[in-house]
Amino acid sequence: MNTQVHHTSSVKEYFGGLWDGIYSSLKGMWITFRYVWAVAPVSIEYPEVREVLPERARMRLFNDALNCISCTQCAMACPVDCIYIASEKLPEGSEIKKTSNGQAIRLHLTQFTIDTALCCYCGLCTTVCPTECLTHSHDYEFSAYTIDSMKYDYLAPDIVAWRDRIVKA
Amino acid sequence: MQTRWDVGEPHKPTINTSTEQLKSDLLTLNMGPQHPATHGVLRIEIWTDSEIVAHAIPHIGYLHRCMEKHCENLDFRGVIPFVDRLDYLASMNMEWTYAMTIEKMLGTEVPRRAELLRILTCELQRIASHLMAFGTYAIDLGAFSPFLYAFDYREKILRLFEEVSGARLLYNYIWIGGLWNDWSPEQISRVTAFCDDMEEEAKKYHELLSMNKIFIARTAHVGVMSVQDCIDFGATGPILRGAGMKWDLRKNEPYSLYSEFDFDVPVGTGEVGEPGDCWNRYIVRMREVVESIKIIRQVIEKLEPGSIMGKVPKVMKLPEGEVYFRSECPRGELAFHLVTKQDSKEPFRLKVRSPCFTHTSMLPRVAPGQMIADFVATVGSIDIVLGEIDR
Repeated sequence: MNTQVHHTSSVKEYFGGLWDGIYSSLKGMWITFRYVWAVAPVSIEYPEVREVLPERARMRLFNDALNCISCTQCAMACPVDCIYIASEKLPEGSEIKKTSNGQAIRLHLTQFTIDTALCCYCGLCTTVCPTECLTHSHDYEFSAYTIDSMKYDYLAPDIVAWRDRIVKA
Repeated sequence: MQTRWDVGEPHKPTINTSTEQLKSDLLTLNMGPQHPATHGVLRIEIWTDSEIVAHAIPHIGYLHRCMEKHCENLDFRGVIPFVDRLDYLASMNMEWTYAMTIEKMLGTEVPRRAELLRILTCELQRIASHLMAFGTYAIDLGAFSPFLYAFDYREKILRLFEEVSGARLLYNYIWIGGLWNDWSPEQISRVTAFCDDMEEEAKKYHELLSMNKIFIARTAHVGVMSVQDCIDFGATGPILRGAGMKWDLRKNEPYSLYSEFDFDVPVGTGEVGEPGDCWNRYIVRMREVVESIKIIRQVIEKLEPGSIMGKVPKVMKLPEGEVYFRSECPRGELAFHLVTKQDSKEPFRLKVRSPCFTHTSMLPRVAPGQMIADFVATVGSIDIVLGEIDR
């Protein structure tokens, strides 16, 4: 048991300590006081003023389903398994489309869903994507009331329509 | 005749004048799990004798996420986002230690530019982590404004990291074999500017808090952990250095390129208080910020263009064996013990040796005999992050 020693101080020590306390506190307050005029504000008023996000910022995932070749590499790389992909073989003799970077789409994508509530925004899925169709967009305001509405089906027409809005260059 | 009041001997209260018999049991008090002074979800059961702590038992596990077991089902690259979440205030250091563990097993050669940039990011992260420790410690002791100054400068580091890696806190930036992205010359020049500002700012912090009489009265001679205690419990980092022992893995067991750099290892000298008390632990952190700036300046001088990714197989299969690697993180010595099976794609076992865990185990040692307010100061001074303790 380490007990602390509380020794009584003389009058001189008492008032000396009091003065030291006031003086050193005033010194600190003077630093704060200088910030009243000399320094520009560091905070921004969020809903009115928005910060420009850096180029590499990792926000909500977006899959450009028209370019997806259903290779499932993203689902395998995902450490939290939040990407659900289903695909089926193209019917015999149907036309094989090509992605924007020239890869053949040999499978018909039937489901591409990402559970955004589960996603940890690590970015591993975007690094393995061979056609670069899965990207992190700059959207960060997508809070929802129910956890089911955090599941994005990237084949739904309204989400496919984001393509013109948020795909990065 | 027996009246209904006649129920035997009347009760006479016994009045004792000796104070020995007035003493009651110890009062059990739960500090936490949502106490702001515990830096997360730590519950400390303290047995108090009026204002004096008789015994303290830390209860951990509120943030347990089963990380070690989860890693056994992930490929080696997929572990990195989980490693990030250990010590979320120093994610870069966590990633780097993990990457070096795997590289030690694979025998990967990391390009020089990548090594230098890793040192740069991790030293910046050390500054950010120590700024956080400085700010929150001031809040623990009732001073609010130092927190705002610390966060202003921490924000600059986080902004740089956001531009480089894409995230502010959980980066997934240091990969096995190298780095994800390169730093642009413009970003490097901003680091230089930051170092100049930070040196001035560090002097301001000493005026704001370190040399404040009230702060010294709250921290000097409080929660003394001697060198022998620290060695017995296995404490490392600022705790051990604050006690006066010069032990830093960057100097004593240089990994990466640290042997090329010239820097000091600050120790608690006891110019205020005594070595091993809260003030000395605090001042070691503040001096390490200045040493980190020194290292960053030397890194920037040595930087030259080159590759940032070494040769790593695309499908990572490790040979059978085990490896133990430790490195110096802002909070102390972090180590990974990795066991793998032949041609395994995932770890067979990944044990994390976390510094904060050993530091928390020292609380029952220093707590007895302290006032409750001093105990809060002691808990704050060991700078714990619960993500790392509970894993």
